[in-house]
Amino acid sequence: MSLIIISADLYESGRAVAEKAAAKLNYRLIDRELLTEAAAHNEVPEAELKRALAENPSLFGMRARPWRRALAVIQKTVLERLLADDAVCHGLGAHLYVVGVSHALKVRVLADAEKEAAVLAEQERIPADKAMKRLEQRKQLRRRWSRSAFGMDETDPGLYDLVIGLSNIDLDEAVQTICDTASYRKFQPMSWSQKCLADLELAARVRTVLLERFPDLKVSADGGTLVVEVRAMKREKRRKAEAIKEMAGRIAGVEYVEVHVVNDIFRQAAESFR
Amino acid sequence: MDVQLHVLLLDDEPIVGKRLKPALAKIGCEVEVFEDPRLALARIDEKEFDIVVTDIRMDEIDGIQVLERVAAKSPRTKVIMITGYAMMSLAREAMDKGAFDFIAKPFQPNDLRKVIAKAAEALGTPLNVESGEAA
Repeated sequence: MSLIIISADLYESGRAVAEKAAAKLNYRLIDRELLTEAAAHNEVPEAELKRALAENPSLFGMRARPWRRALAVIQKTVLERLLADDAVCHGLGAHLYVVGVSHALKVRVLADAEKEAAVLAEQERIPADKAMKRLEQRKQLRRRWSRSAFGMDETDPGLYDLVIGLSNIDLDEAVQTICDTASYRKFQPMSWSQKCLADLELAARVRTVLLERFPDLKVSADGGTLVVEVRAMKREKRRKAEAIKEMAGRIAGVEYVEVHVVNDIFRQAAESFR
Repeated sequence: MDVQLHVLLLDDEPIVGKRLKPALAKIGCEVEVFEDPRLALARIDEKEFDIVVTDIRMDEIDGIQVLERVAAKSPRTKVIMITGYAMMSLAREAMDKGAFDFIAKPFQPNDLRKVIAKAAEALGTPLNVESGEAA
């Protein structure tokens, strides 16, 4: 059995599809309810996790460092849950960080914009054209968020195995199509794809720990071997590399840590002008 | 110990067969090792194996072709693909064409033993991998 990851241009439509698909296949639904548990286990306010999924860091909004950490906590928690198969995941950005896992079927749901606008217009008691405009703004915001958070444009159809437009295909038909596709042998887990997912989970777990001290780093894993890429000035290279090795080496599942220190040219340039 | 599983192992790198054959023999497999895919296919035509373990990237005939031949000739045979060039598209293609499992190189002999044990289970001939003995 496989994993189904659903992304949607409008949250409500994606959620409706995810709920129905999970119920039909008897799969676990992994959605934003997970944030309560993620917040409690990682000592991050739940509101901060929700906010990190909804907005980009800004001067008057959420600062970059807590935003990055909140996303890392979400990523880690979701990946940990996905290690057990038979799940439908929605609303947690998994389509952007579950990459290269062959048993994860990725679906993009395009909402019926007119229908969603009519619902919004009624809820907010605003004219239909204004509601439509708001929905358009939300979509644009999501697009910018996906680029800032994970360096990918979530509207790119190339990220998905299946794209379904709800304007012409109704909800039940969409769910049936997803369930049928998920049953293809190519989406079944295998040793390699499970290892890929386990590698992503380990990297996310390590990154969450390291982010507390090093705000900007990349982590990848292959088996128990980790590669950590971090920016540092020349004089701090050795100290940073040692600290990372020490911190990461204590995490369960880590056998070997390689640290690549990249010259922090911006800080170096800033210091040379002082 | 009774031989329970007949395994064909195909990899054009001799070290792979040399290393894996004794590891699989320990858990009750009779292993025939091939480095030339043409000879392996000829043997597959002659004998129905329980499990075929094949590399994917080889000269002339690749592992996907081996998989297709085995699937056509003996649907009950479990085919395990091993490769040093694992990619999502290749993994999906192999599974779609009936592979039982797909493993990326490098791996430890025990990783393959575990997959063989899963295949044995699916064939109704469970193995005891932990003790290194056939169950």
